[in-house]
Amino acid sequence: MEAFFTKAIEVRDLVKIYGGGVKALRGLSLSVEEGSIHAILGPNGAGKTTLIRILTTQLVPTSGSASIFGLDVVKRASEVRKLIGYVPQEVSLWTDLTGYENLLIYAKIYGIPPERRKDIVEEVLSMMELKEASNRLVKTYSGGMFRRLEIACALMAKPRLMILDEPTIGLDPSARKTVWEKILEYKKEYKTTVFFATHYMDEAEKYAGEVSLIVSGNVIETAPPDELRKKAGGDRVYLKLDKSIDGARDLLMKVEGLKIVRESGEEIEMIVNGALTVLPTIILALQSNGLQIKEIRIREATLDDAFIALTGKRIAEEEGNIRELISERKMIRRGA
Amino acid sequence: MMWQRLRELETIIAMAELELRRISHDPIELITRAVQPIFWIAIFGSVMARVRAFPSTGDYITFISPGVILQSSTFIALSYGIMLVFERESGVLKRLLSSPMPRSFIVIGRSLAGGLRASTQYIIVLIAAVAVGARITYDPLNLILGFLILIVASMGFTAMSILIASSLKTRERFMGIIGAITMPLFFASNALYPISVMPEAIQLVAYVNPLTYTVNALRALLVENSYAIGYDVAAIVLFDVISMLAALKLLHRIIE
Ligand SMILES: Nc1ncnc2c1ncn2[C@@H]1O[C@H](COP(=O)(O)OP(=O)(O)OP(=O)(O)O)[C@@H](O)[C@H]1O
Ligand SMILES: [Mg+2]
Repeated sequence: MEAFFTKAIEVRDLVKIYGGGVKALRGLSLSVEEGSIHAILGPNGAGKTTLIRILTTQLVPTSGSASIFGLDVVKRASEVRKLIGYVPQEVSLWTDLTGYENLLIYAKIYGIPPERRKDIVEEVLSMMELKEASNRLVKTYSGGMFRRLEIACALMAKPRLMILDEPTIGLDPSARKTVWEKILEYKKEYKTTVFFATHYMDEAEKYAGEVSLIVSGNVIETAPPDELRKKAGGDRVYLKLDKSIDGARDLLMKVEGLKIVRESGEEIEMIVNGALTVLPTIILALQSNGLQIKEIRIREATLDDAFIALTGKRIAEEEGNIRELISERKMIRRGA
Repeated sequence: MMWQRLRELETIIAMAELELRRISHDPIELITRAVQPIFWIAIFGSVMARVRAFPSTGDYITFISPGVILQSSTFIALSYGIMLVFERESGVLKRLLSSPMPRSFIVIGRSLAGGLRASTQYIIVLIAAVAVGARITYDPLNLILGFLILIVASMGFTAMSILIASSLKTRERFMGIIGAITMPLFFASNALYPISVMPEAIQLVAYVNPLTYTVNALRALLVENSYAIGYDVAAIVLFDVISMLAALKLLHRIIE
């Protein structure tokens, strides 16, 4: 019965101030339903990793509380550790061992009974399609294989909750897709709750049932991706006319749910709520006023647009790349 | 409950297994580590033997062999903490700390791992020493006991290294300190000369230096064919307990 009431994750007013005085979390709250996929999305330094490190019992919060399936992460840390599978943001493998050896050692660390160890290692290896590479040293693996092996590792103990810190960081689109297919496959089979941090919008949009936007150590919004997209105010519409848009402005202003973002000469960009239904009316009105449309482009609102609308900032991709570079460099140094 | 506890102990063995598997993938590293101590015995040892600097020691090459084993193994054990600095920067430590394994087992397990890695020097350096004329016992019991004592002592030095890694956190600072402490540790011990030849102040250091007791025990077993090692073993065990408790106490620092 208990599982019926308790959330997979419940975080209340969480504050974390690091030794150096950095305030990484500022009273963050969120809750995650059992069985769901929940993403935390935010720019670099938003506090995603800090939150995850508190949830995985590595760090103690400065104030506030967090619990996993009703167990306090500070007071009942050792019980919490038995319920979670965790993939850190950085490489968490021994690169000078083979893939198989990594899993074997971790199986022992996770307390998997000796009689089941071999089967479980084999099972996760084939699930992650790493069987062939399993006897190679991990330092010869590709980025995608690294990540799949780390996920395999986290799956061995059949956790009720998977906590993934940027599971696809630094991977190319096809490797990202494979990683996600594997996560979903596993989730389907074992009904695991999945909680992941990312700064890839599309990933949160595609795979998460609910997304929490995190900025400067606070959750500013939690909702399913579709609803979050609506916060962007509507779809982006770009029009190019045959003459100056001056004659069209009054006309467009009358359309409900339309906001002009930018205009210059014959071009106009606007946010339109429900663009696909409103657009025919707009086109007709323009034409009957003698304005011809030369080009039209519609882009559905993304989480990025919503993020900008809510915070005035964007989740900078450039920074992400720099960070990836740093973590890759670290990896190389370690591997050498 | 009892069974459960025993099961948990297996994670300590897993840490040791990790190390042995690592060594088996790259045994060359440990062999290269043994080159310097072999030169110590072959060059330093034979020169000093010739000038008869320390007449009370008997055959000098034989005398320093246990000391030189310790020089090599202690350096490896003390450097082991760099592994934790790496693992701190990577995600390994994060994963270990969020696994069901108790934190004390991380310290004990990794100390055992470091102890095993360091003790490989025993075999290589002993063979080299015999090859250049050291008169070492062939009694297997003594040889095995010596090996076990070296593992136990190296566990203490590894724990010390983990402690230093937890406090200093970066590899540059870490290597700096390790470089700074190995030299006095080695020279303020009875590894190369008897304590009686030292100035009084340094004698005091030598008496609190765990290396002294380890060298004593190895010298008794391997050179003097004696089992009078009770006090030495007690001192080594005490050193292990203190350094592991301290390492456990400071381990949380490496996390933040
Ligand atoms: N160990 C630490 N000591 C001090 N400050 C830290 C530590 N770890 C993180 N911080 C700081 O806390 C803030 C939040 O960092 P955190 O790593 O949680 O962000 P994040 O959202 O995971 O970012 P990223 O997308 O770059 O991974 C940042 O300002 C960071 O510099
Ligand atoms: Mg992060």
